[in-house]
Amino acid sequence: MRKFLIIFLLSFTFAQDDLLSFIEDEQFVPLPIQGTFKATRIVNAQSVELPRSKTLEFIITHRFGTMSNGFYDLYGLDEASARFDLSYGFNEKISLGAGRSSHKKTYDFFSKIKLFSQKSTPSLSFASIVLFSKVEIATIAKNENFNNRLIYDFQLLLARKVNQNLSIQIIPTLIHKNLIQRFEAKNNLFSIGLGSRIKLTKRVSLNGDTFFPLGGRGRYVGFTQSWGLGCDIDTGGHVFQLIITNAQGTYESAYIEEANGTLKGGDVFFGFNITRSFNFN
Amino acid sequence: MIKLLILIFLSFPVFGKNLYFTRSGSVSFFSSTLIEDIKAKNDQVTCVLDAESGQASFRIPIRGFTFKNALMQEHFNENYLESEKYPNASFSGFIEGWKDTKFNAIPTPIMISGEMTIHGIKQKIKENGTIQMKNNKIYGNATFNLFVADYGVEIPKIVRENIAKSLSIDIELILKKK
Repeated sequence: MRKFLIIFLLSFTFAQDDLLSFIEDEQFVPLPIQGTFKATRIVNAQSVELPRSKTLEFIITHRFGTMSNGFYDLYGLDEASARFDLSYGFNEKISLGAGRSSHKKTYDFFSKIKLFSQKSTPSLSFASIVLFSKVEIATIAKNENFNNRLIYDFQLLLARKVNQNLSIQIIPTLIHKNLIQRFEAKNNLFSIGLGSRIKLTKRVSLNGDTFFPLGGRGRYVGFTQSWGLGCDIDTGGHVFQLIITNAQGTYESAYIEEANGTLKGGDVFFGFNITRSFNFN
Repeated sequence: MIKLLILIFLSFPVFGKNLYFTRSGSVSFFSSTLIEDIKAKNDQVTCVLDAESGQASFRIPIRGFTFKNALMQEHFNENYLESEKYPNASFSGFIEGWKDTKFNAIPTPIMISGEMTIHGIKQKIKENGTIQMKNNKIYGNATFNLFVADYGVEIPKIVRENIAKSLSIDIELILKKK
């Protein structure tokens, strides 16, 4: 009897303080986590974010020349490599885009497909998963077979927003080059990317990404591991990303496989990404 | 022992309540400036009214606000209302002069006062509204203004011209008997 009484008492103490508790019996619905990254790029690397639904996103990426010439060319500011990137979010899960980079006069077409969203419940929904694919068409050589111009990129973007201030991303990557320059080089290049964001304030964050090659790249093929460090500034309508990186090109095969800068002697590139969104809803 | 039980039964107000509620009430807010108008609506508002005492409670899930512009909606949650930290706004209060309020099919003006909590900050408010009874349902309506700054929501300089300092809030509820 006493036990019954205690249970009875306990069951009512909750109900006393608020009227809402009288009807609290609905299930908790997990919501997808928002804002794992500010922009669709971490620094160089693609982030797990897509352009928002019914939103056209315009990105200008800009990398100056190497900083190693010092004041002579104002730390590379006389030179530039730019990219225009337009993509559209059809809904929360699918986006398509196209871009043109001055690096090797390359055109590209790409898609991002969100396979899974990290949710607000801890259980199994611990990460967001996005499939990124791109075809690049280098047009710098005038007389070249079309097939030889093509490079394909495939990435799985796996990201987790650990908390409000920290996000991490792992990026298994395959780059397929139709044409290789040297006999020792490989058509299929595998690598694993790592990216992260640390928020400093609500609108400013520090970002970094790098790619580790898997398997050799061929003995005579010069290869430098690429990296980028950046600072995101979110002003509401725009996201500005200020960047230092050792790769000048800003499409996948260029910044993952063709980075050539080294910190030694300041042979790195300063640059920025500007993202602007236009809503069509 | 049985006497004690009965006493306990009686001492809890549960049995003296005459509750009306909804889980799909709507709240919308409107910000109007020279540069742009911003509107968001939330149809997931929970409200409980005790028709015996005139006490009322609201819970408004912040993630339930939908904007036309998805980016704006994300900023609203991430940068302004911080919905991961403060998932709900709430109100708890009572309708003044409830005993003398007449229920009928014509909207009757009322005054509701109590505590509003948004973004983790509690403020006492007192606002006008109307209430009516139709087909055994209670219809509630209120329109009022609140100041963004009262609830510790910072608006950065760069968008200060885009977001109004005072938002117009519109509440519409249809409560059914529990």
